[in-house]
Amino acid sequence: MYSPAGVQGGHAHGAASLAVDGLMAGYGEVLALNGVTITASAATITAVLGANGAGKTTLLRAISGLVRPRGGRVLLDGADRTGRSPEDMARAGVAHVPGGQGVIAELTVEENLRIGLMSWPGSARRRADRVAALTAAYERFTVLADRRHKLAATLSGGERQMLVIARALVARPRVLLLDEPSLGLAPRVMTQVMDMVVRLSRENGITIVLVEQNARAALAIADRGVVLNLGRVVATADARALAADVALRHHYLGF
Amino acid sequence: MVEFLQFTLSGISFGMIYAAIALSLVLIWRGTRLLNFAQGGMAMFTTYIALEVIRHTGSYWAGFVVALAAGIVLGTVAELAVIRPSLGRPELNSVIITIGLLILLEGLAGIFYGGQYRSFPAAFSVTGLRAGSTPLGVSRFDVFVAASVLVTTLLLAVGFRYTSAGLRMRAAAFNATVARLSGIRVARVITVGWALAGLLGALAGVLVSPSTFLCPNSMDAIFVFGFTAAVIGGLDSPAGAVIGGLLLGVALSYAGGYLGSDVTALVAFGILVVVLMFRPAGIFSGARVRRV
Repeated sequence: MYSPAGVQGGHAHGAASLAVDGLMAGYGEVLALNGVTITASAATITAVLGANGAGKTTLLRAISGLVRPRGGRVLLDGADRTGRSPEDMARAGVAHVPGGQGVIAELTVEENLRIGLMSWPGSARRRADRVAALTAAYERFTVLADRRHKLAATLSGGERQMLVIARALVARPRVLLLDEPSLGLAPRVMTQVMDMVVRLSRENGITIVLVEQNARAALAIADRGVVLNLGRVVATADARALAADVALRHHYLGF
Repeated sequence: MVEFLQFTLSGISFGMIYAAIALSLVLIWRGTRLLNFAQGGMAMFTTYIALEVIRHTGSYWAGFVVALAAGIVLGTVAELAVIRPSLGRPELNSVIITIGLLILLEGLAGIFYGGQYRSFPAAFSVTGLRAGSTPLGVSRFDVFVAASVLVTTLLLAVGFRYTSAGLRMRAAAFNATVARLSGIRVARVITVGWALAGLLGALAGVLVSPSTFLCPNSMDAIFVFGFTAAVIGGLDSPAGAVIGGLLLGVALSYAGGYLGSDVTALVAFGILVVVLMFRPAGIFSGARVRRV
């Protein structure tokens, strides 16, 4: 399932579970997360769903360190990583792709991919491994290979998401936090992006936490689903069960 | 026609010094969105240090090297001690802090060295060069000025473009959030930016001081010209800083040559006002205007 032979660079320990325990976080007077407990098992896809303002984005930011939690814990493979800085979390193997901005538009496609190498542990940065990681990304995403020296700003929305996922592949994180990757994408492109996300989980063993407004698409590829409302978890279940729960869908997810 | 050539060449030489200051301001601006009002003061201080070294060792080049090293150290220390605590707070704090740093440096220089003008040696002969029998209006030293700034700028450009460290700095400048989430230690990158800016300022200081003489305030005017050059080129654009510096240097050279040297400061301010009124983002910048 995970790790084709010869994965030398990146994180040597492979898939990791991610758990948050009673997590509380907010902005100023607003408490956007009010005691959230979620477990994402290693190498699975967990969809985090809910209406706008439910706290989904804050959840990812509190995990990755962009927002300092006010309470609760963040556990990476059982180890307490609460309140670490974003740089430290990235180097520990947690990759967070924020909503609406994953690529650095002023850099080229190749430079964006090379940024993915920056979170590798210092000891693992052999040149051959770096080159191999980039080559593997280009093989999987041939569109990017064609545009490798073009500025990321010239890419379409779908191509940018492809670049974001390619960079995640290069970074070889243990956990990937994706914030609304389908936002603004045409349906066909969105399907392609979702397929890429699935491949990251199945072929590369990355644990994925997927925040999505498009609950239907997210539940179609997820293993587990979690529904947030007003900063709390209101439902946790197997993704298929969640999708089949019509009352829940109507009440919290709008379909 | 000969006069025109002389003014042009001499303008290029001075323009390179403005470009060095402009480039140091752009480096800091891109990294921290801060305008370093103390840049001229830092350059002045390192030039005094160079003067001390030259007096004690008798070697110009020892002073030159020590000045550049002191620039790196001063930039690093300033960022760690004075600027870092102010990041994330209201922007006006940072403005006031850099002005305070300027006053501190000028005050310290006055205490240690006194207020009188001192001469500073030039690296090479300042006798005018000739092409055949035509005086060119520039000296060996002027050529050295242009060459050293050009080489430093090219080294920086190559470093930014082709090294991982350069990629980290550019990523941090363009999108600090994504950079941090990718594991780039943005705080460290900012410190390096200030160190490089300190180096550039120190270079500008030793290059211009033979002409302007050295006193605690002697770099104030150069700072204004460097700032003007950076604004012309666009505060986000390193290439713009260099081009802006050259344009300003040449423009001021013509103004001083044809209209008289009293006018140069006026022309510089005039250019600054015109650019800020009509194209505040700078001629070469694609960025939008930012209100302070």
